Amino acid sequence: MEICDFALHRPASLAEACEMGRMLGPGARFLAGGTELLPDLKQRRDVTRHLVDLRSVPGLRDIRLDSSYLHIGCLATLSEVAESSDVHKTLPALSEAILSMAAYQIRNRGTLGGNFCGGVPSADTPPICIAAGAQVRLAGVDGERTLPAEQFFLGPRKTVLDPGELLAEVLIPVQPARSGSSYQRFALRRATALAVVGVAARVALEKGRITQARVAMSAVAPVPMLAAECSGILEGQSPVEEVFERAAKAAALASRAISDLRGSAGYRRDLVRVLTLRALREAAARAGTRPA
Amino acid sequence: MGEEILVSLKVNGQERALAVKPNTTLQDLVRWHLDLTGTKKGCEMGECGACTVLMDGRPVNSCMVLAVAASGSEVTTIEGLSVNGDLHPLQKAFVKHGALQCGFCTPGMILSAKALIDSKADPTEEDIRQVLGGNLCRCAAYPRIVKAILSWKEFEGVPLDTRPHTPEERDQERDHAVVGHGVTRYDGPDKVSGRARYTSDIRLPGMIFGKILCSPHAHALIRSIDTTGAKKLPGVLAVITGADVPETRYGVSPARYDEHVLAKERVRYVGDEVAAVAAVDVETAERALRLIQVEYEVLPAVFDAEEALKPGAPLIHPEDPRYAGNVNTRVEWNFGDVDKGFAEADLVREERFVGSRTYQAPIEPHASLARWEHHGPKLTLWSATQTPHYLQQMVARTLDIPVGSIRVIKPAVGGGFGVKAETTPLDLCAVILARMTGRPVMMKYSRREMFYHFRGRHKQIMDLKIGLKRDGSITAVQSRIVLDGGAYTSYGVITAYYAGSMIPTLYKIPHYKYDGLRMYTNLPACGAFRGHGVPQPRFAFESLLDMMAEDLGLDPFDVRIRNAMTPGTRTCNALDISSCEFGATLERAREASGWAQKKGRLPRGKGIGVGCGGFVSGAGYPIYRSDFPHSNAMLRVHESGQAVTLHIAAADIGQGSDTVLPQIAAEELGIPYDRVWMAACDSTLSPVDLGSYSSRVTLMGGNAVKMAATDVKNKLLRVAGRRLGCDPAALTCRDGRIFVKEHPSVGIDWAEVAAAAFSEGGPVVGTGSYRPPTTLGGDFKGGTVGTSPAYSFSTFVCEVSVDLETGFVTVDRCVDFSDAGTVVNPVTFHGQVEGGVIMGIGETLLEDVVHRADGTIANPNLHDYLIPSIRETPEIISVAVESFEPRGPFGAKEIGEGCLVPILGAIANAVYDACGVRVKELPITPEKILKGLQLQAAGRVAARVEG
Repeated sequence: MEICDFALHRPASLAEACEMGRMLGPGARFLAGGTELLPDLKQRRDVTRHLVDLRSVPGLRDIRLDSSYLHIGCLATLSEVAESSDVHKTLPALSEAILSMAAYQIRNRGTLGGNFCGGVPSADTPPICIAAGAQVRLAGVDGERTLPAEQFFLGPRKTVLDPGELLAEVLIPVQPARSGSSYQRFALRRATALAVVGVAARVALEKGRITQARVAMSAVAPVPMLAAECSGILEGQSPVEEVFERAAKAAALASRAISDLRGSAGYRRDLVRVLTLRALREAAARAGTRPA
Repeated sequence: MGEEILVSLKVNGQERALAVKPNTTLQDLVRWHLDLTGTKKGCEMGECGACTVLMDGRPVNSCMVLAVAASGSEVTTIEGLSVNGDLHPLQKAFVKHGALQCGFCTPGMILSAKALIDSKADPTEEDIRQVLGGNLCRCAAYPRIVKAILSWKEFEGVPLDTRPHTPEERDQERDHAVVGHGVTRYDGPDKVSGRARYTSDIRLPGMIFGKILCSPHAHALIRSIDTTGAKKLPGVLAVITGADVPETRYGVSPARYDEHVLAKERVRYVGDEVAAVAAVDVETAERALRLIQVEYEVLPAVFDAEEALKPGAPLIHPEDPRYAGNVNTRVEWNFGDVDKGFAEADLVREERFVGSRTYQAPIEPHASLARWEHHGPKLTLWSATQTPHYLQQMVARTLDIPVGSIRVIKPAVGGGFGVKAETTPLDLCAVILARMTGRPVMMKYSRREMFYHFRGRHKQIMDLKIGLKRDGSITAVQSRIVLDGGAYTSYGVITAYYAGSMIPTLYKIPHYKYDGLRMYTNLPACGAFRGHGVPQPRFAFESLLDMMAEDLGLDPFDVRIRNAMTPGTRTCNALDISSCEFGATLERAREASGWAQKKGRLPRGKGIGVGCGGFVSGAGYPIYRSDFPHSNAMLRVHESGQAVTLHIAAADIGQGSDTVLPQIAAEELGIPYDRVWMAACDSTLSPVDLGSYSSRVTLMGGNAVKMAATDVKNKLLRVAGRRLGCDPAALTCRDGRIFVKEHPSVGIDWAEVAAAAFSEGGPVVGTGSYRPPTTLGGDFKGGTVGTSPAYSFSTFVCEVSVDLETGFVTVDRCVDFSDAGTVVNPVTFHGQVEGGVIMGIGETLLEDVVHRADGTIANPNLHDYLIPSIRETPEIISVAVESFEPRGPFGAKEIGEGCLVPILGAIANAVYDACGVRVKELPITPEKILKGLQLQAAGRVAARVEG
């Protein structure tokens, strides 16, 4: 259980961090909160010889709200995100998603950036961010790029990050008027257990119709995934049970669940249907109570 | 690479600057560099919370923080909570409420709570559950932890005392001054302050560290082992393999010693021990293991007990013809005439139930520390053990060391539940490596290694058949059980017998047949786990009884009451039931649970269920044949007369024997509880006690202690009689006074008499010893297993909610009525019950060690093997139904194991009541329930008729 031997590097700027990451090659990893990284190092999942400590880079921990986006720096801890008044204002369901996951101790160290970059299919924050239309801003030696959050993930523990590239911040657009979000998660134990399935939904309403809807899921595909089919079924319709049912079935059909310790593929599909339904109901109810 | 880095941080208010390697965790910084060992190592993977410290006021897992990342922070460890020796009010609240048992999770738990009250001085119960979800407590002291935190303010500015805290904790008034009172735990203050040292907290000069290399194959022959690379690695002091260990095999049951210290030629499960290394630090030792090259010839393996039985299955122990067909133990019991019994029945039903492999998962990993003394022949072994005596015997026998040369010390133990009741390869390798290197050797399992070493619950496949008369009377029971034992015997012979022997103890069964077959498989060996062999058969029995009650249109309580055991009964398998208030537990649980209003009347998705259980109060016979008494105690009165020291090698592993035994001593001596000191559990200080297994300590240890106290008392009464000029027989002692029974005002101070006795005749010492009646048990093979001086009984009723869309089960509330004889300490008593209930919930709903097709474990960690958290804790009402057990000290018997036994069946019955789905295979997962609900909806299974 001892951590492998490594050298620690402390870049002073984002550019230097990226440069170090690239120079040091595949044996290097970025250190943020460490709660995803340390288990890897202890289990020697891969050969890590260098850690580039991002905590010495200024500005990566900020959470701030401007007129179009809520910016969450990659080093903001999950607790900081969950407790942020800007998050409560913009996307309270993100706060709820965080409080539903992991131990308090882990949330106090683990970061939003880490929850994304770990690339764990059952991660809880990506679906709610994806449903909210979030983007990720990546910084690398050759500059920056921004892409929709759902495009960040490539497979289990695989992301689009190039060597030396890091996730600088998650950008959550200010949510449409009369919209609501919900994250529904099912785990075998109430505290600190991985999600068997997680479903996030965002619904925007206008004059009794759904104008926008996004559903995203975790633990039912190699990556946190957007159930694009759902949007087509929901948008333009009334927020009624029968419509939600159709969307929930479509989400279940779209899921690519596998069987593992926590549940069979079939059981997961059943859960996707149930949780999508619950998420849509709650999101719509919340949308209905939000001022136009 | 990895050059040392200077870390400056504030720890417990003190500025510290330390040079550490970058790969040092904050956990190791505080434990090793600062010797603040109150920060525990439970999993090292951020899964258990035992290493929680506050970093800038927020709880974090110190195992998940690099020391360098803590630079510039303010860190508070448990040692930083008490000021000038005065405990923090939270710590006092934990002590007073009995919010701890083994104490291993306690420092982390308290620190999480501290962060909570710092941000919210009056937290709600929900706040507590939310914040403490990541602090796992396997003793499951959760209900008391909640109470302690809710009440923390009451302890501000109040000095800690050891008197009973809450009077309502007392179950009934008996005329005792100490027994029956909820005095605080003897080890409480040390455990809440981080001062209690567990084996892995001990540091000795020159100490080095050992690690064991395990087999990656489930079944293979070892062709060769090359240790050259490992031996050459700087920092490595010794490397051993099977060639360096004795031919002598060890184990638990003398009839089945089947393990070598390290594998000689064959490995039988993934995890089987192959080689061991001692090095200057753990990192080097682990690196050395990776340099050992083992050439294996992989053999076919078998992972299923029924498969292992088939002709042509791979033979796991071909060296011994006794194990032909992979049968490790065969039991064939036939009491009465079951054919006749079934013929008399109005309803006969047979069903198959299947248990699961569950793991004790104590939060403290196994650890051993060995040191050879005086450069010579004497050995001291510190070990996280429940059974110091058997450990001493087994080390002596296996390594050919005279027993008299071995000193075994049991430091604080962070939970056992059976898994620490046997000698481990850690113990044996530490001794060998220490002898080879001349250095003290510390060895410890990682969480993953614990799962592979295993010795958890056997998975039992149970075909159970019951015959009932129309009125619910049992006419006959037949049970056929196949136990998956894993690769070695461990406690398994006894498990196979227990699985059969305890069935006839709850209900009167005229005819009973039991066939038990414990099979070897290529999986980690199974051993003794709380309720040893009994919970699964009891789950089957209580489930089937409910199914048949429904068939007959009878109320489940009526069926149980009709057949309930009564005092003074000899069961069909020749067990003597002494005291028994089982019937009363049934009547009272039925009443208190609101059964009549609820059973069959709750809305769909809500259900209520009953289950019953019980256990032995100590095994009637020791594990190996011996003539000496099972429990022995010495009491030495101090020269001042103001205190006594109790010497008994009973092993407190969290259950509270270090509290209950001094209570018994104090009661009999007539002095306050806080005048009794406990001598360390050290074989050089205390006479033999067989240890903490089979729920034996309160009754057996208690009897020895009481006898030793009587011995002292009689000596003092003689002295007092002379002083008071009266017959010693007319005197008695209580509350620190010796006085005339008929005239209590005529008396003399106890301490004064004791001091005078010392002045007159030197040391005042009393001794006591206990052996169970030698007449226990029937004259048939295996007739000793299940014998006991006394038995506990309990009835448990729970209410559950089932989410009909996901199958998720919540246990909402429950009542437990237990007959454990006289309750010596209500706080520890209810703590045991609550802990057993919660552990039972885990076993029923969550827990299952899953093996892959190659024999590796899919969930060897606390992240994937889920044990109950504080958020799984239901409302539990625990009530003692006190019988008076004539064979127990002041009428006491056991509670620690029996309390888990009824839970599984009760929950299964409640789930059925809630949704009509009967799950016969443990654990009862949401997925299994949902599948049942889907079949129901499809009309393929009849839905339960709503009452």
